Amino acid sequence: MTDAALLSVSRVTKRYGPRNGGLTAVDDMSFAVERGEFVSVIGPSGCGKSTLFHIIGGLTQATEGRVSVEGEAITGPHPAIGMVFQEESCFPWRNVIDNVAFPLELAGQGRASRHATAQGFIDLVGLRGFEQRHPSELSGGMRQRVCIARTLAARPRLLLMDEPFASLDEQTRMLLGDKVLQIQQQLHQTTLLITHSITEAVQLSDRVIVMSYRPGRLKRTLAINLPRPRTADILVSPEFGTYVAELWNDLRQEATRGLAEAEG
Amino acid sequence: MSQTLLPRLVATILLLVAWQAMALSGLLFRDVVPPLQAIASGVGGVLGDSGFYANLAITGFELAVALVLGGAGGLIAGLALGGSRFLSQALERWLNYLGPTPKIILFPVLIMMFGVGAGSKMAMGAVSCFFPIAISVAAGVRGVDPKLLQVGRSLRAGRLQMLTKIYLPAMLAPLVNGARLGFGVALIGVLLAETKLSNQGVGFLIMQAYQRFDMPRMYGLLLVTVAFAAAVNIATDRLAIRLRGSRVRANK
Ligand SMILES: Nc1ncnc2c1ncn2[C@@H]1O[C@H](COP(=O)(O)OP(=O)(O)OP(=O)(O)O)[C@@H](O)[C@H]1O
Ligand SMILES: [Mg+2]
Repeated sequence: MTDAALLSVSRVTKRYGPRNGGLTAVDDMSFAVERGEFVSVIGPSGCGKSTLFHIIGGLTQATEGRVSVEGEAITGPHPAIGMVFQEESCFPWRNVIDNVAFPLELAGQGRASRHATAQGFIDLVGLRGFEQRHPSELSGGMRQRVCIARTLAARPRLLLMDEPFASLDEQTRMLLGDKVLQIQQQLHQTTLLITHSITEAVQLSDRVIVMSYRPGRLKRTLAINLPRPRTADILVSPEFGTYVAELWNDLRQEATRGLAEAEG
Repeated sequence: MSQTLLPRLVATILLLVAWQAMALSGLLFRDVVPPLQAIASGVGGVLGDSGFYANLAITGFELAVALVLGGAGGLIAGLALGGSRFLSQALERWLNYLGPTPKIILFPVLIMMFGVGAGSKMAMGAVSCFFPIAISVAAGVRGVDPKLLQVGRSLRAGRLQMLTKIYLPAMLAPLVNGARLGFGVALIGVLLAETKLSNQGVGFLIMQAYQRFDMPRMYGLLLVTVAFAAAVNIATDRLAIRLRGSRVRANK
C-alpha cells in the first residue's frame, strides 16, 4: 500500500437533512493528496469547504462516499490527521507551551519531555520567548500560530487547515503564508489547506482544487508549477500573475453566483 | 477601593446612629432594639463563651458535610444534564421549579429519613446547595466553547480527558459561582434546620437566646454568624480572582 495516496477522497457527498435546510453542501467530490504535497482547496464563501474539512477530519459523517488515509477508511478522528480550525481555538487558560504540548499531554508524555518537544514547534512557528504567555496576551496571528504548533506537535502525517488566516489582516496573512512555506520546506509536511484567498493558494500550493458554489463540486484542479523553495519574490513574478488570473477566472462566476444567491 | 470607602463609612455611621437613636428613644418595646453597647457586650459574651465554639464547630461540620455531598451531587447532576440533551429535556424543568422552592418544607421528610440529630441538618444543607450548583454547572457545560471541544475530539481525547482538561477548566467561572451560591443556601439550610429542631449548633443557640429573650446575646450571635458568612464569601471571591488571575499573569 506504499503507493497509495496519503489522503484519498472518493465520491464524497454531504447533504443536510430537511430539518437542517435540506442542502447539498458537498456534491460528489473526489481527489487525492500525495505524500509531501501541498494542496489547497479554494472556493467562495459557503461553498462547503468547512464541511469537507470536518468530513476529512472525521468530525462529521459524509452522507455518501469514502475518505481514507493511507488506505484506511476514516470513521472518526484519525491520528494521522491534524486539524487547524477556521476560528481561533487556543485554550485560554493554558500558556503557550502548555497549549502546544496539549496533544502530548493527552498521550501521557511526561512534563519535561513534552515541553522539550513543544519548544521545538514553538521555535518553528517563531514564538520563542512567548512560552509563558497566555493567549489573551497575544495577537490574533500569534494565537493562530500557537494552534498550528499545537497541531504539528501531534506529528500528523497530513496537516489539514481550514482558512487559518481568514480572520487576520492582510500583512499578517502574508507573513504567516511565508511561515507556512518555511514550515512546509523544513518538515516536508503534507498539507491540505482550505482557503478563499487566491494568492495564498498559488503562493503555497503544488496543486489547487477549485470548488463550485452550490452544490459544492470539484470544478477543476490546477497544478502550480512554480519552483521551490518559494519566497515572497514569486508574488511579483509573471507566472504567479498568470496562475492568479486563471484561478480568478474560474472563481469569478462561482463567487458572483454565491453573492447573487446570498442577496436573494 | 478607596473611592467606595468613604460612602460605605458614611452609610455605616448613619446606620449605627439611627439604630442608637431608635434604641434610646424608647419607641419600640424594650430590648427589641438594644443599644449598641448592649450588643457589643453581647458579641463579647458570645466570643468569650467556650460553649459557643463547640456549637460553631458542630454547625461548621454539618455545613462542610452538606457542601461536600450536595456539591458532588450537584456537580455530577449538572454535568449529566449539560452533557445530555435527553436528560436536560426530561429533567431540567423540574430542577428549575424545585430550585427556588424553600427546602425547609422537606425538613419533616429529612427528619424521618435521617433522624433528629446532625444527619437531617446535613441533609437540609446538602439538598439546598444541590440545586444552584447543578443548575449553574449544567449551564456551564453548555457554555463551553464548541471549538475547544472539537480540538479535543480531533486529538482523540478520552472522556475523562475531555472532562478534566477541557470542560472543567473552561467552566471555572460558573463553577466558582455555583459554589458561592451553594455555600449561601447550604448555610441557610443548616441554620434554619437547627432553629427548628435541634439541641446543638449556632441556629439552636440563636433560638435559645430568643426564647430566653436575651436580645443582646441573640444579636451577638447573629452578628458573628453574618461575619462568618461574609468572611467565607470574601475568601471564595479572592480565590476566584487568584485562579482567574493565574491565567492572565505570565510567570515573568
Ligand atoms: N450543520 C449544518 N446544518 C445545515 N447546513 C449547514 C451546516 N453546516 C453548514 N451548512 C451549510 O452548508 C453550506 C456550506 O457551509 P460551509 O461552512 O462548509 O461553507 P464554507 O465554504 O466553509 O464557507 P466559509 O468560507 O464562509 O467558511 C452553507 O450553505 C451552510 O449554510
Ligand atoms: Mg468555512
